[in-house]
Amino acid sequence: MAYSEKVIDHYNNPRNMGSFKKEEDGVGTGIVGAPECGDVMKLQIKVENDTIVDAKFKTFGCGSAIASSSLATEWLKGKTVEEAGKIKNTEIVQELNLPPVKIHCSVLAEDAIKSALNDYKKKAEESPKVESAASSS
Amino acid sequence: MARSMCWHCQSEVKGEYMCGQCVKVQPLSKDLDYFTCMRLPRLLDIDQEKLQETFYDLSRTFHPDFYSNKDDQEQIISLGNSALLNTAYRTLKDPIQRAEYLIRLEAGSVKEIRSNPPADLFDEILELQEDLEEYRSLSTDGDKARMEELRQKLNVNREALEQRQAQMESSLKKKFSEWDVLQRQSPQSTDAREEKDAVLKGMQEILSDKTYVRNIVNDLIETAS
Repeated sequence: MAYSEKVIDHYNNPRNMGSFKKEEDGVGTGIVGAPECGDVMKLQIKVENDTIVDAKFKTFGCGSAIASSSLATEWLKGKTVEEAGKIKNTEIVQELNLPPVKIHCSVLAEDAIKSALNDYKKKAEESPKVESAASSS
Repeated sequence: MARSMCWHCQSEVKGEYMCGQCVKVQPLSKDLDYFTCMRLPRLLDIDQEKLQETFYDLSRTFHPDFYSNKDDQEQIISLGNSALLNTAYRTLKDPIQRAEYLIRLEAGSVKEIRSNPPADLFDEILELQEDLEEYRSLSTDGDKARMEELRQKLNVNREALEQRQAQMESSLKKKFSEWDVLQRQSPQSTDAREEKDAVLKGMQEILSDKTYVRNIVNDLIETAS
């Protein structure tokens, strides 16, 4: 099976690889896994004034999983929290031209986005003051 | 096998695989599950000999070689049946594939059995992967002392994970027999549904964890053993 050029590009030059401190204000962390293949994906967002100003990922798995999460972080930057929640795995499949056997990688990326957003929202609810302080900084 | 109409002579098929009227081979139903196909009860501790016996028996019935002189439709049916048979045999022969198949099969009747992601395990894996990354980066421009220190640490972790793999194997076996006990006591699929689902969920969790652990152990062996 051949990977598309876009997958290979993201695989060779992953965008936004790395991580933020989980405890940092405005940071939402999503860690998800694919039980079928054992891939593990960590995706983090940094939110200021309801907008995602930065995103990072670390994925341990196949090329498609790395490419899916790399692409996801690119798309997340500049989006509002609400817009980010609308990213669909099918868009990732389309952009990266993923074959049917690799669709679960895009699902994993969508799950990671959702999980990071939920984590951010949960943190923001628990400490609203900290959140507004982070926004104004 | 459910009764159906012969594709060739339209009479009711009473025999198992052949039409009683025109003796044409009949396609195996797409809904036929592998256990039924192999004449086995839906248990995880299966009679391997019986599985093989049935496989040989049905192979003799459906093998395409026996249909090379027959008409096109019969050849197609023989090919389809043989393919299904081979997949059923391969799936049930392997204990892990058998369990995964059973979960899929049973999950169909109870919507979905999806386990919670093992957050602690993920944290542990990410931490180890980070150590591995550092180890790899050192191997090119390396602080040898730090490398050795990391290698030893990673080996300790690997040994602990390998022990856990052994534990998971035995808890999985336990779940397998729990399923069989329940299934023998209440073979109807609606009976003891909650208990059955709990066992299946437990099985699914161990199977997923096993995959995650296997991956990280392989990475550890490959890179730093």
